[in-house]
Amino acid sequence: MKTSFLLFLTCVFFLASCTNFNRVQSASDTIAVTDFRGKEVKIIKPAERVICLIESALSGIYMLYQQNRVVGVPSAIYGENLYQYYSRLDTRVLNRALPSPGNWDFVSIEQVVGLKPDLVIIWSSQTDAIESLEQFNIPVYAVMLNSFSDIYKEIEDLGILLDCSDRSDSLVALSKGNMETIHKNNENIKSAYFMWSQGITETSGKNSTVNELLKAAGVINACNLFDEHVSVSVEKIYDWDPDMIIMWYNEKLDPVDVLNDPLLQGLRAVKEGKVYELPEVFACDFWTLKMQYPVQLISKWAYDSNLDTNMQKQLVNKMYKQLYGIELIN
Amino acid sequence: MAMKEKPIISVTELSFGYNQNQSVISNVTCNIPENTLTVIMGKNGSGKSTFLRLLGGIMQYNSGAISVNGFELKKMKLGDRAKMIGFLPQHHKPVFPFRVSEVVLTGRASYIRFSPKKSDEYHVDRALELIGISSLKNRIYSELSGGEQQLVMIARILAQQPKILLLDEPISHLDYHNQIRILKLIKELVSNNITVVAVLHDPNMAYLFGEKFIYVHDSQVHEVKDEKPWENHLVNNIFDNELFPHEHDGKYIFIPKI
Amino acid sequence: MNTKALRYIAIIAPIPVIMVSLLLGASEDITIEKVFSFLFFGDLTDSELIKTILFHIRLPRVLLVFLTGGILAVSGSAMQAIFRNPLVDPYILGLSSGAAFGAALALYVAVLPIQLSAFVFGLLAVGLSYVMARKNNQVSVVSLILAGIITNGIFTALLTIVQIVSDPFKLQSIVHWIMGSFHTASWYELQLVILPAFAGLLVIFILRWKLNVLALGDEEALSAGVNPGRIKISILIATTMASSAVIAVSGIIGLYGLIVPHIVRMIFGVNNKVTMLMNLLLGGTFLVIIDDISRSFSGFEIPIGVFTMLICAPFFIWLLKKTNTGWQ
Repeated sequence: MKTSFLLFLTCVFFLASCTNFNRVQSASDTIAVTDFRGKEVKIIKPAERVICLIESALSGIYMLYQQNRVVGVPSAIYGENLYQYYSRLDTRVLNRALPSPGNWDFVSIEQVVGLKPDLVIIWSSQTDAIESLEQFNIPVYAVMLNSFSDIYKEIEDLGILLDCSDRSDSLVALSKGNMETIHKNNENIKSAYFMWSQGITETSGKNSTVNELLKAAGVINACNLFDEHVSVSVEKIYDWDPDMIIMWYNEKLDPVDVLNDPLLQGLRAVKEGKVYELPEVFACDFWTLKMQYPVQLISKWAYDSNLDTNMQKQLVNKMYKQLYGIELIN
Repeated sequence: MAMKEKPIISVTELSFGYNQNQSVISNVTCNIPENTLTVIMGKNGSGKSTFLRLLGGIMQYNSGAISVNGFELKKMKLGDRAKMIGFLPQHHKPVFPFRVSEVVLTGRASYIRFSPKKSDEYHVDRALELIGISSLKNRIYSELSGGEQQLVMIARILAQQPKILLLDEPISHLDYHNQIRILKLIKELVSNNITVVAVLHDPNMAYLFGEKFIYVHDSQVHEVKDEKPWENHLVNNIFDNELFPHEHDGKYIFIPKI
Repeated sequence: MNTKALRYIAIIAPIPVIMVSLLLGASEDITIEKVFSFLFFGDLTDSELIKTILFHIRLPRVLLVFLTGGILAVSGSAMQAIFRNPLVDPYILGLSSGAAFGAALALYVAVLPIQLSAFVFGLLAVGLSYVMARKNNQVSVVSLILAGIITNGIFTALLTIVQIVSDPFKLQSIVHWIMGSFHTASWYELQLVILPAFAGLLVIFILRWKLNVLALGDEEALSAGVNPGRIKISILIATTMASSAVIAVSGIIGLYGLIVPHIVRMIFGVNNKVTMLMNLLLGGTFLVIIDDISRSFSGFEIPIGVFTMLICAPFFIWLLKKTNTGWQ
C-alpha cells in the first residue's frame, strides 16, 4: 500500500517536471499589428487558418471576403438567429461543416490546437484561454471594443493580417462616409432613453458605445450616469423624461407593451407614442460596421416623420450589399 | 482486609470549577493507594465523574496538585500519561461503524507513532480474550448492545496496558452476571499489581469488591477508612437513605429503608 | 468478491482509466484511430499535433482532474473524521467557496499569490462555519451543515462581486468558477497545485490512523494519549491546503468530497488506515471518468461541478435521511 502510494507520488512529480515547452521564435516576422491588449501580434505570412471566436469579428472577416481563411467559428453562429445569415454567407456553415471550438465565454484548447490555426481571434477578457493558446505558440489577436474607432481599427488590423488592406480601407471609408451623411444640423435636439432587452430599467450611460450610437444619430442620451451598463429606477426615467425610447431588439416585449405599461404612462415619450424597437440583432450589431444601420434608424425616428417597413428593408438591404457584397434577406 | 497504604496518586488541595463562582471540586486532599480497588461513591451530579476526569488528566484542574507515581500530572507528556493511566469514560456515541478490533486497537495509540504494528494487534487479541469477547472481534461496534459496547471499551483500556485504571461506572450497562465477572476480573488485575479506581453506584457490588472507599459530596471528597463504612455517620448523611446490612459468610448485602 | 480483491482492483484501476481518457477528446481531427496508429504503428502523419494534444493538453488535464478528485475525497474523508460528522466535505463547510473567492480575488487584485490567498480564505471559511455552528462547546451535525450553507452563501456572493467588478461581461465565466471546470488545465496549473497538494496529502496520510482514535470521541482520544485538538488542527490545515490548491485552479466541485468517502466506506469499511488510499485512488478515477464526459462535447463544455452536483445531491439527501442522529 505504502509503496504504491510512493510510486504514484514519484510519477506525478516526474510528469509535472517535464513542462518546458519549446518556444520557437521566428526570425523573419513580416506582418505585425498591435491588438487591443497593446500586444504586438506578429505572423510570418498572411493568416490562412483563422479561428475566430467573436461573432462580430467573424462578420468583419466575411465583409472582407476572407471566409476561405476561416477554419473555426464561434458556436453561437449555429444558433437559430445567426444561422439564417451565416448559412447564406458560407456553404460550410449551411452544411454545419465548419468546426466551432468555442464561444465568447468558453474555448476548447484541444479543439483549437487540433485545427492547427495560424491566427486565433478572441475577446481580450478571455485571459486564461489566451495564456494557454500562446503557450502553444499560436498567435492570438485579442479584441475589446469600446468605441466606433475601435471597430474601424479592428477591420483595418484584420485587413493587414488577412492580406486585404484594399478591401478594409474601402470598407472603413465607405462606412465613415455613410455615417457622415446621416442627420446633423438640428436646432431642436431630442433626447432618447435606450432600453436593453432585460427590461425598461436596464440602460447605458455616457461612457458607453450606446452613447456614441445615439450621438451619431444626432440625439442625446437621456441617461446622464456614466456607467457602461446600469440598472436605474423608473423614477429616474421620469426625472429624465426623454423625447423617445429606443428599445434594443427584444424577444419578449414590443413597443406596444411599453406604451401600455401602466408604470410608464406619465412619460412624454409614451404619451406621444415615441417608442421604437431596433430590428434583429444581426442587422443592428453596433460592434461591427453595421452600426450605421441603427444610427440611420434612430436618426430617422427622431427627425423624419415616418419610416415604413419597406424603407427599412431597403436601407438594410443596401447596407448588406455594400458590406457583405450580397443581399442577405429576401 | 489488609490495607496497602502506599499511595500511587496523591491529591493536594485540588480545586476545579467550570466557572469562577461555582466549584465542582474544592480544596480536596486525598490519596489513592497502589494495587488496590478504590471505589468512588456519591449521588448523581456530586462531581464523581469530574473528580475521576481530573485524576485521569482528561480535564485540567484550576489549583492544587495531583502527583502520580511521584510525577506531577500536569507536566506529564500525553503519551507517557496514557501508558500510566487508563481512563474509561461513561458513555459516548460512535458515528462511524468501526469494527470492534479497530476500536480496541485505538487503545494502543500511545505506543503507536503512525500506524499500528503486529504486536499491537496481539495486545488487542489478548485484551478481547481477557474480557471474554473474542467472538465480537469482527462485529461492528455501533451495532452491539450497550453492555457489549461497555465490555469492548473495557478491553480497549486493557489493551492500553496502564498501571492505573480509572473506570467511570464500568458496569452500568452490564447484566448481573457480567457485572460480577468484570468485577472479579478487576480484582484479578489488582492482585496483578494494577491500581483501579472505579465509580460504582450499587452498594452491594461496591462493598463486596471494594477495598477502599471515597465519597464525593458537596464538592468535597471524603476518605472513609472504617472497616464497615456503611455504618459511618458521615456516609449515612451523604445518602439520606439508611441501608440495612445482612451478613452472609462474612460478606454483606444491603436492603434500603422503604 | 472479497475486500482484498477489490482493493487491488482499486489500486490498478487508475491506470487503464487514465490511458483511455487520453484517447478521448473534443478535437474532431484527432480520432482514436489516428492516436492508435501513432502510438502503436509509429504513423507520423500529424505526429507533432498528436503529441501536443496528448501530452500537453490531455495528459496535464487528466492528471489535474485525478489529483483534484483524489484530494477532494481524501479531504472530505478526513474532515468527516475530525468533525465526527459524516455529512461534511470541503464544499459543505464552505471551504470551496472560500478558496474560490480567495483565488479570484488574488487574480484581480493581486494582493497575495493565488494559492496562498485561496488557502487563507479557505481556512477562514471553515473557521467561520465552525465558530457559527459551535454552541456550548458542542457542534451538532446539522448546525455545522447550516453554518456551512451560510458561509457558502457569503463567499459565493463575494466571488460574484469580484467577477462583476473585474469585468461586467464575464458573468458567464462565473458559472465556470462556481460549478468547477478544467478547460484551461495545463502543466503550469498542475505545477501550481502539486506542492501544496502533496504537502497536505502527506500530513493526512501520516495521521490517517490517528483519525480512528479521534472518531471515538475527544475524551477517548485523550485517555489513549492522543491530543485531539492538535490532530484536528493539523488535519484541518492539511486538508485546507490541499483542497484550496486544487479549487484555485478548478473552481468549486460540489459534494464530491462527501460522496466518495461514503462509497469507499461501503466497500472497504471505516478504517482510515485503509480508506485514505482508496479515497485518493477512487476519488481520482471517478472524477477522471466524469470529466471525460464533460469534455467530450464539441463547442461548449458543461462544467464538471454540474455533473458532480446532479449525481451527488440525491445521494446526500439519502444520507441525511439515513443519518438520523443529526436531527435531534
